[in-house]
Amino acid sequence: MISGGGNSSWSCSTSSWVPTTSVSASGKRIQREMVELNNDPPPHCSAGPKGDNLYHWIATIIGTPGTPYQGGIFFLEIKFPSDYPFMPPRVVFKTRIYHCNVDSEGLVSMGILKDDWSPALTITKVLLAVRSILTNPDPYNNAVVPGIAHLYLRDKAKHDDIAAEWTVRFAK
Amino acid sequence: MAVGEEQKRSPREQKMLLADSNGQNMTALFSPRFKSAAAMAGWDEEALLLASLVVEDTPDRDSKHKRRFVLHSKTPPTNSSRKRRSQRTPQPVAILDLDEEETPRKDSGRKKKGKKISEGSKVEEGGNELTEKNPGVSSSSSVLPCIDKLREELSCAICLEICYEPSTTPCGHSFCRKCLRSAADKCGKRCPKCRQLISNGRSCTVNTVLWNTIQLLFPQEIEARKAAGILNGRQQAQNLSPESAFYATLMNRSTPPSGEASGRISRRNVATTTSRTQEDEDAALARRLQREIDEQSPGTTTRSRVHNARMRARGGISTSQHEDAALALRLQREEFMQTYRGSQEHVSSRLPSSTLARANLRSMASRAMNLRISDRRR
Repeated sequence: MISGGGNSSWSCSTSSWVPTTSVSASGKRIQREMVELNNDPPPHCSAGPKGDNLYHWIATIIGTPGTPYQGGIFFLEIKFPSDYPFMPPRVVFKTRIYHCNVDSEGLVSMGILKDDWSPALTITKVLLAVRSILTNPDPYNNAVVPGIAHLYLRDKAKHDDIAAEWTVRFAK
Repeated sequence: MAVGEEQKRSPREQKMLLADSNGQNMTALFSPRFKSAAAMAGWDEEALLLASLVVEDTPDRDSKHKRRFVLHSKTPPTNSSRKRRSQRTPQPVAILDLDEEETPRKDSGRKKKGKKISEGSKVEEGGNELTEKNPGVSSSSSVLPCIDKLREELSCAICLEICYEPSTTPCGHSFCRKCLRSAADKCGKRCPKCRQLISNGRSCTVNTVLWNTIQLLFPQEIEARKAAGILNGRQQAQNLSPESAFYATLMNRSTPPSGEASGRISRRNVATTTSRTQEDEDAALARRLQREIDEQSPGTTTRSRVHNARMRARGGISTSQHEDAALALRLQREEFMQTYRGSQEHVSSRLPSSTLARANLRSMASRAMNLRISDRRR
């Protein structure tokens, strides 16, 4: 269930440090995305390189009002593979979250971050997609925590209570 | 070919058919309602048919009239026009029609191009003005009010830059050709934008209209990317083998049409005429030299192959002789490389490199000549 297939492509990005002066296609593309994010930031989201490594980003998502995650600030870590636009980035929640599509390590499981990835997708779109699964969890296809998915389907109120409690505890 | 012939023939045959069984066809063409209406009105069917014939033939007659007038009737005008009609094949008319159709299209295309060019020049001019006003801002941006939107529209969704050699998918989305190809290789043959199947990811053809438009709208970006591509190519050439790289750089340096050479001239503000003739001379010399070397290097040209065969026919020593020659050539080339490197260093230290390069070329030429002479003596 957990996207193990992508691991080979992640490792190369983490092991080989790529400087910002790199003129590789992936570096250029990431730089361009950074510029666009600064010029036109998506609502309730922010993202940018963690340090001087262009392939390692930190992002924040503010919990959408009307959901059990409202008011919470969720930090995410984004790691780009070296062949980035052609391989999906790896998105991990650094803030603990009670969600059926986020495993205990914080790894986000979404179709577009796995087989449905398209090189035309950008980090902005990925962040918007993450925000959308906070509003509408996907308990069927990408449920990496079956217990939460079951609870969500069986007793949504209880699920929302727990999620809200986690949000208060970890994301504020 | 066969298809073309068929296409050529088919309209004629159709027309002949029409001419032969005109009456029947016409009746068949009439809708039953029309017929009944005619009957109701009490019209003569024959008269109707005649009228239809006249209607059918009017364009032909018009053209015939024109032609008659143009040719001021050297041939006696025959009274049986129907005979002539049957003799004359309608094919030339069809061709004329095609021409008539095509010429305005071409004209409009030209007009469009002209417009585009003028727009492009406007853009450039505007860009220059802008840069003069505030040199910090990159030119050609925000010259046209919609240039940012155009940039967005014309940028590749994969590399997020202006499409370079755009290729359009069957579903109508355009990407850089290279981007689309690598996307097809790495992510499967689906459109990155709409996930529709791309029938064949390998046949990436450049959308020429789009490409030309992009080149006109964003000349600077495209030039920069072209230059980068050339640089990459050169690096690859250097990686391949030192000899080929040497020749590649030699050709690049010495041929006047290459952008670098002309750039060098303009940068130094040398009197262009003299330097250009020098460069021309250099280029010619280099080409001649390379040809000679190519001819002498074993197994490259037919001439040398013939030469080889002759040598082999003469005796067993010939192969060793050729090996010697090859060795000598290799040594010489290495020497050239060294001298060339020396000249490059001089370039970097801002010595007049053109004179040095010319001297090098001269020496190379003389050595090549010597080699050839010695080969002949042997």
